[in-house]
Amino acid sequence: MEIRGYNMPNGLYYEAHHYWVKVEGDILVMGMDDFAQQMAGKIVYVQLPFEGKKLSFGNKFAKVESGKWVGKVFAPVSGELLESNQELEMDPTIINQDCYGSGWMYKIKPNDVGDVENLIHGAEAVEKWLLADIERYQQG
Amino acid sequence: MELYNLGKVPWEESQLMYHALAKLGRESLCLLSPATPYVCIGFHQDVEQEVDLEFCRNNDIPVFRREVGGGAVFLDGNQLFFQLIIRRDNPIASKRIDSFYRKFLQPVIEVHYRIGIAAEYKPINDLIVGTRKISGSGAAEIGECIVFVGNLILDFDYDTMSKVLKIPDEKFRNKVKKTIEENLSTIRRELGVSEYEKWDAKTLNKILAEEFEKLLGPLTPADKNDELIAKMKELQVSMINDAWLYQKGKRVEGRVVKVRSGLKVVQRMHKATGGLIRADFSVEDGQIKNVFISGDYFCFPRDLVDRLAANLEGCSIDNVSKVVSAFYQKEDFSIPGVIADDWKQVFMI
Repeated sequence: MEIRGYNMPNGLYYEAHHYWVKVEGDILVMGMDDFAQQMAGKIVYVQLPFEGKKLSFGNKFAKVESGKWVGKVFAPVSGELLESNQELEMDPTIINQDCYGSGWMYKIKPNDVGDVENLIHGAEAVEKWLLADIERYQQG
Repeated sequence: MELYNLGKVPWEESQLMYHALAKLGRESLCLLSPATPYVCIGFHQDVEQEVDLEFCRNNDIPVFRREVGGGAVFLDGNQLFFQLIIRRDNPIASKRIDSFYRKFLQPVIEVHYRIGIAAEYKPINDLIVGTRKISGSGAAEIGECIVFVGNLILDFDYDTMSKVLKIPDEKFRNKVKKTIEENLSTIRRELGVSEYEKWDAKTLNKILAEEFEKLLGPLTPADKNDELIAKMKELQVSMINDAWLYQKGKRVEGRVVKVRSGLKVVQRMHKATGGLIRADFSVEDGQIKNVFISGDYFCFPRDLVDRLAANLEGCSIDNVSKVVSAFYQKEDFSIPGVIADDWKQVFMI
């Protein structure tokens, strides 16, 4: 689904700070959404924590740096970090090139996969949320 | 909002203040300056790759890793720091990165105007006079806050700056120093010595506070309280130690020194089958400039690499591949064991 120039694929769950979450069996794959990567510009560094790191819903577990900003990545659910995308160590701009594919960032084993239902999902909810954020960002 | 107008402080405090205030969630503006010089590296940098640690040790220059991004910088008492800490949910904090910098650099522009320097905003976060940068800034999310830090550069020690960076040889170091001198200005340089001497740090900090107040609302002078002192002590333990400083950072191919937005000085070494290639060049607003190629490969005619360098001069970084391929197709030469892809790797940024 494209919303005002931002690609927001259907079937994904979205964390409020603009990270997507996809359910793959009993694990979750997570990455930055198109809105965030466009706003951030060129990504220069992604912190890749070691596997096994305990994640607590809503708490920061990593940092991402674009040329001009160091931002935080918040856990979309509680669980454990299974894997970080090591390709991003050499070339974090993969996120800018393919944020929903090869630019994925983390794989998570959630304590309860059902927790994703608390994230933003469904075409109507995603559109409403994104339009509100576009408005907020335009206000500068 | 609290105003900490502290003047000269121990170098550690010039960094720990804003980290502590942000982690405590206390909105404030700090104006301060380090009593002694130090090197400060960006959040993601690899200190061993970026800083000449032996030079720093021999000259008693400490090195600190900040939670704000950007590159390694030499900081000293000739720079007046401003550090703004605002909560993420404060409506004054613009959501867009470019709007954020434009808004919060405006008071800094006004200070320059008030002392007679026509500084301009250059996206995303540069302040320039003509083509030269005159103030540095950066931002990061720390704790529940956004931290915006930057400096008024009264004067700058270009020589020491070029020495604290880890640079493979003196020739490249001279090039880095010259490029920084040409592209980074100071208040002293812009005003001239006699006009510059009319302004002292206290007055400039007062003007800074006045200009920020126009944007932020009333600022209440504050002193460090027990909570803040305790937080700084805690951070001193976690941020001034080898584990924090030497943590793994981003590896960079070759040596890349960012001088200002849109200008990098690069040195690359590349081992081709036919020998080692070394290239020094600049990338200015996406164009390759000042190309110098050397190495231990065999080539005929002898001026071959000079011709390749001439072809690459002024070329857009996006066109390197095309230019090198065309050179290999059109020119008649011999350079055994060095293929077009080797050059593409050398000049890829």
